[in-house]
Amino acid sequence: MLAFLVVFALVPLVVPALTRRLGRRVFPVIALIPAAAFVFTLTQTPKILAGSAPTEVIPWIPQLEMSFAVRVDTLSWLLALIVTGIGALVLVYCAWYFTDAEEGLGRFASVLLAFTGTMYGLVIADDVFLLFIFWEATSVFSYLLIGHYTGRRASRVAALQALIVTTAGGLVMLVGLVMLAVPAGTSRLSDLVAMAQDGRLDLAAPLVTTAVILVLVGALSKSAIIPFHFWLPAAMAAPTPVSAYLHAAAMVQAGIYLVARLAPGFSATPGWHPLLLGLGLATMLVGGWRALRQNDLKLLLAYGTVSQLGFLIVVTGFGTRTAALAGVALLLAHALFKAALFLVVGIIDHRAGTRDLRKLSGLGREAPVLAIVGMLSVLSMAGVPFTAGFVAKEAVLAGFLGAAQGAGGAGPGSAAGWIALVGVALGSTLTVAYSARFLWGAFARKKGVEKVRPVHESVSFLAAPAILAVSGIVLAPLFRLVGDLLAGYPNRFPPDAHDYHLGLWHGFDGALLVSTFTLLAGLTLFWARTSVSTAQAKLPPIVNTSELYGRTMTGLDRLAARVTSATQRGSLPFYLSIILLTLVGTVGATLVMNRTWPAEWRLWDSPAQLVIGGIMAVAAVALTRADKRFAAALLVGVTGYGMAALFAFHGAPDLALTQVLVETVTLIAFVLVLRRLPARLGQTHGSAHRGVRAVVSVSVGLMMAAVAIVALGARTHLPISLALPDLAHDVGHGSNVVNVVLVDVRGWDTLGELSVLIAAATGVASLVFLRSRTDNLPRVPDAVRRSLRSRLRPVRETVSAEYVPGVKDPSTRNAWLLAGLKLAPENRSILLEVVIRLLFHAVVVVSVFILFAGHNSPGGGFAGGLVAGLALAGRYLAGGRYELGAAAPVDAGRLLGVGLLLAAGTAVTPLFFGAHALTSAWFDATIPVLGHIEFTTSTIFDVGVYLVVIGMVLDVLRSLGAEVDRQQEEASDELEEGSTI
Amino acid sequence: MTVLVPLVVLLPLLGAAVALTQAKHPRLQTFIAVGVLGVVLIIGVILLFAVDDHGAIAVAIGGWDAPVGIVLVVDRLAALLLVISAAVLLSVLVFSVGQGLADGDRETPVSIYYPTYLILATGVFNAFLAGDLFNLYVSFEILLVASYVLITVGGTELRIRAGVTYIVVSLVSSVIFLAAIAMIYASVGTVNIAQLAVRIGELPHDIQLVLHVMLLVAFGIKAAVFPLSFWLPDSYPTAPAPVTAVFAGLLTKVGVYAIMRTEMIMFPGNELNTPIMIVAALTMIVGILGAVAQADIKRLLSFTLVSHIGYMLFGIGLGTAAGLAAATYYVVHHITVQTTLFLAAGLVERQGGTTSINRLGGMLKASPMIGVLFFIPLLSLGGIPPFSGFLGKLALFEAGAQDGSVLAWVLIASGALVSLLTLYALARAWSMTFWRDADEVADYDNPLPVLSQVGVVTEVKSTRSIPRIMVGATAAMVALSISLTVFAGPLYNVSSRAGDNIDGPEYYITLVVTGESE
Repeated sequence: MLAFLVVFALVPLVVPALTRRLGRRVFPVIALIPAAAFVFTLTQTPKILAGSAPTEVIPWIPQLEMSFAVRVDTLSWLLALIVTGIGALVLVYCAWYFTDAEEGLGRFASVLLAFTGTMYGLVIADDVFLLFIFWEATSVFSYLLIGHYTGRRASRVAALQALIVTTAGGLVMLVGLVMLAVPAGTSRLSDLVAMAQDGRLDLAAPLVTTAVILVLVGALSKSAIIPFHFWLPAAMAAPTPVSAYLHAAAMVQAGIYLVARLAPGFSATPGWHPLLLGLGLATMLVGGWRALRQNDLKLLLAYGTVSQLGFLIVVTGFGTRTAALAGVALLLAHALFKAALFLVVGIIDHRAGTRDLRKLSGLGREAPVLAIVGMLSVLSMAGVPFTAGFVAKEAVLAGFLGAAQGAGGAGPGSAAGWIALVGVALGSTLTVAYSARFLWGAFARKKGVEKVRPVHESVSFLAAPAILAVSGIVLAPLFRLVGDLLAGYPNRFPPDAHDYHLGLWHGFDGALLVSTFTLLAGLTLFWARTSVSTAQAKLPPIVNTSELYGRTMTGLDRLAARVTSATQRGSLPFYLSIILLTLVGTVGATLVMNRTWPAEWRLWDSPAQLVIGGIMAVAAVALTRADKRFAAALLVGVTGYGMAALFAFHGAPDLALTQVLVETVTLIAFVLVLRRLPARLGQTHGSAHRGVRAVVSVSVGLMMAAVAIVALGARTHLPISLALPDLAHDVGHGSNVVNVVLVDVRGWDTLGELSVLIAAATGVASLVFLRSRTDNLPRVPDAVRRSLRSRLRPVRETVSAEYVPGVKDPSTRNAWLLAGLKLAPENRSILLEVVIRLLFHAVVVVSVFILFAGHNSPGGGFAGGLVAGLALAGRYLAGGRYELGAAAPVDAGRLLGVGLLLAAGTAVTPLFFGAHALTSAWFDATIPVLGHIEFTTSTIFDVGVYLVVIGMVLDVLRSLGAEVDRQQEEASDELEEGSTI
Repeated sequence: MTVLVPLVVLLPLLGAAVALTQAKHPRLQTFIAVGVLGVVLIIGVILLFAVDDHGAIAVAIGGWDAPVGIVLVVDRLAALLLVISAAVLLSVLVFSVGQGLADGDRETPVSIYYPTYLILATGVFNAFLAGDLFNLYVSFEILLVASYVLITVGGTELRIRAGVTYIVVSLVSSVIFLAAIAMIYASVGTVNIAQLAVRIGELPHDIQLVLHVMLLVAFGIKAAVFPLSFWLPDSYPTAPAPVTAVFAGLLTKVGVYAIMRTEMIMFPGNELNTPIMIVAALTMIVGILGAVAQADIKRLLSFTLVSHIGYMLFGIGLGTAAGLAAATYYVVHHITVQTTLFLAAGLVERQGGTTSINRLGGMLKASPMIGVLFFIPLLSLGGIPPFSGFLGKLALFEAGAQDGSVLAWVLIASGALVSLLTLYALARAWSMTFWRDADEVADYDNPLPVLSQVGVVTEVKSTRSIPRIMVGATAAMVALSISLTVFAGPLYNVSSRAGDNIDGPEYYITLVVTGESE
């Protein structure tokens, strides 16, 4: 059985390719698969009769109680035969229904085959979650099949509606299944039913009751029972074979199947009977009533199906032995006649070009075979004697009569029996009426309507409906036999007073009386159709959940829009406020609840801290009031330098040095950027917002302070860093603890931060250059280096106040900086040039010293790199971008890359020697002249840091400095050109 | 095995370094980037098997043992996320190679893109391995700064604006995280996670709570948890398709991962489970309502991203081994599927020139392949069986049912509802984009409320030919997502053992302190 499922899953993948070769002839080929499954199921018959249930289990996810468990008992056997048999016939029928030119034929064939397999899986699955998988898969395939005519809006809307309604039901069912399976400790359907049957599951327990009701909701939605019924008629937008198979014989029967499956164990659940009986009868009546109004034959059948599904729910959910027997019989009969009728309508549509019964006339005479096939099916639908429909209906009526008279055994009781009997009788009356209407509408000659001239179609087109219709008749006399075959299912219910058997003739009993009544009344309704339809037109639609669905969806869209526009303001200050308020709200709440405040508060170590802290606080507050960008940048700098001072007072000269350098570089970067921005900060918000923001900021600050007080007050352990000085000296061979921590103990962090620097530098370059980070600095051409004359030609820069041609060039004085001559004379400061010229190399040497001294005294790669970077910044500020190009003839990206390569390389290398990553090695030697030399490999790491930092500063200078200069120059050149024209 | 652990981080770093030095050789860069991620993927798989068989591995970097030095810890959870994120990073990289080749590097300029992408990968990998809270912070910084670069690639006005939102919010979250680390260090004097697990328990209960909440808020912003999530849909969708795909797949999950570690190792005891579950429900519902209101596929997907974070929180909030296992599986599923959908949306954008469903149409005819590549992850995200989204959801529901509290049932109900609404939003987009004929588009009037018309207006030139590499990479992701179903048994086994594993910090402490696992 599982093997068939695998075939069903895999073959559809190649069907589109196959269809490209075979065209519509692909259908008979793929029909072989369900046909084979049909035959295989037939071969299982002896086992079923013997009362055994072939089972296959392959574990899948044991933790979730999920397995590929399939089991074929009587009920599954019957449904497997129905879905595979009808599936095969419908596929064969498709070969004539479609033309080769049909759009998306491969997709259609593939999906329909997959659907057939899914149905087969659904009816044999014995694991509730496996069942659910197939259940939802049918919804998706149904979505794809209903939407087959993708270009039609109605198709798409119907498909989505069917998907949403059945999936919604499915999810409710899933929750129910989880609720049922998890506490019960098994997900095997057969086990669950057995547990319910022998009382191991307490059906009256709220959890179980709720679970069962939820599962039923899923079943009802699938079977288009009120209030979910509206999706089914809309789904008729699908091609007719789909309607025949999915929406008459297979998918919609899934809900009925599930009810039938659960009924032996769960029909005593509180709420089961009122729900199924009430909604089932209502559906049967509403469906029948509305079928009477339809002029489209397909819609007439669709509403008829809705009605019949209601009928089936009432019968299968009734929970007595006779009703169960009647239920399976009805299931079979309904599948046969309804599928046949849909297929007949498909042929009518093809031959007459319409399905509107007001336009069809005289088709019966023109296409007698078609008419006979149609009539046989209609008779079965109406429950006319000697048809399968009749046999089933007799059994139903007998079952209800028995229950009404108190012979129902464990059933729902006498009152329910009467209600069911009356309801079904009324429903059957309507069924008879719309059956007659169908027959008349499709085949009769009508006065005043032009006779149709049917197109000729191959006789084989009729094969599938003919087989179905004829079996509906042939089976009828054999139904006693069928009843015995199916006995395995009803026998699971407690026996009722009399042992009912299916059969054509039970004597003149109550059932026959009711049957006759329905036939006569139905025919009367049909004869009086004109007055009936007048009456119908006057009555408002009884249950209009379709509109409810529409309103719900619109309401949902509105709600979604409202919620989203309230939260997604697109305003950064709003988002930040929410984040900060959440922080204050949550952490603040925990602070309020906190009972462990420290006894004594030490607010500062030295008064200097208070002074510096005060300055920083003032700067921060002033920052919020600053209205000029430059002032704001300086104020930010104040907090930074204040931080450096705090470090210094805390005895961390290394950190202070680094912080000062960082602050300086940052300030330079700021200044470079600010050149291009308006001097004033924009004021976009009113004072009200300012107030709110002030409150938020102050409360965040207060909260942070409070957390700090609490956290420090609760100190339970001294920091692990206290052990570091000794470790740094003994193991790391350095007396500068900070440096040893950076390059060795926590070198891994440093490595990470290096990549942060690189990414940041790249980001700046990316924003300014947009395409590439390889755009190099301009170089002073070699010619310039060689010839003094060309050195003397100034390059015009837009920052110059004014360039007056013809004025004597003052730049004949000696060039201190190589590219200084490229500057307009007004922009040159000879003093600056001289100072920079003198200092540059010295500073670079200092930076190298800081780098190497770092291991034992303040400094290190980071600080050294920053110093070197500052030297470069000086060259740029004095001499402009050409000067920068001359000072740093290396590509910044390459510098970053090499630096990272060194650092990461230092980390990787120890791995080759069997050590942990980043383990440092230490060498010392006494070399003549130089004396005692100590070297740790972590110094190489530090060199990497050094290079990366220089690269980063260079990147900032060349992008925010040089490139911005160039762009500005270009812009002003364009401007000038414009003005001269 | 211990050799392999640091390589996971070092290889992408070295790759980035080489890529930076070889800026003028794009082919070499491509080769290096793809190669490095490929190798990391292989290492990840090896580690996953090793860890699953022989127990977790802790590696002391530089030979400095915990708590002084930094340790990297690979347990099942970390290894699993390592493998899936390496696979995702690799596929997306290949996708962007295809896009770069076709666009002449307009969207993914090689010399910026590759090194930065590798640095992003470094950050993600390191975050999963970090056994040290400060190192976790560094990992966040690495991946965030790299993401700042990637989100503003190309420097268009829209991207800069989105980038500002993203960067400022991320900085705020980093500051909160850093402050929380400082406070934790202040009170217990260590940042080693294993030692934290021991020492935090010794703190007074009230103070534990303060620190716990502060940390969760920091991670909550990164994971995009309601109400800290509003920034996300305003910043992700404007980036180039592969960038958005990788962000959506991985970055928020790193936040979720951090929350898992916080709840299970550092602050065990399930104290905040109730608030976490309430927040989970709100995240799910508010998020999906956002998706329903969108008419732009990328924005819609950003909202489903936020919404489904709620599912993971649900599992975490249950605080049981089953809940954690479910959350773990859901994380793996969501990384894969959400990335795939964004890649598919990238294909749609190329084919149709836009991602607005108001202006797309006839895509199924134009490219049935893209249709398939979009439809399968759509079903998976919508929780349709048998795809991974369903299995994750089912696992969560079962874990919730085992918990059996009223709140758990409320969460299950919200989970079911959100799953339906996800399907609704996506199926509607599918119907408009793929089914509707192209000629219906011209006179189309959107019945959705006005809000949804305000989408991200990204006009990419519509091209008729889609590079095979892009389709191939997306197809590989779809295949990966399907394999999450096919191999659900073994995968769920690992998740489940990971769940057992992280349900209590003892094993972690033993591992880091003594180096012995299980």
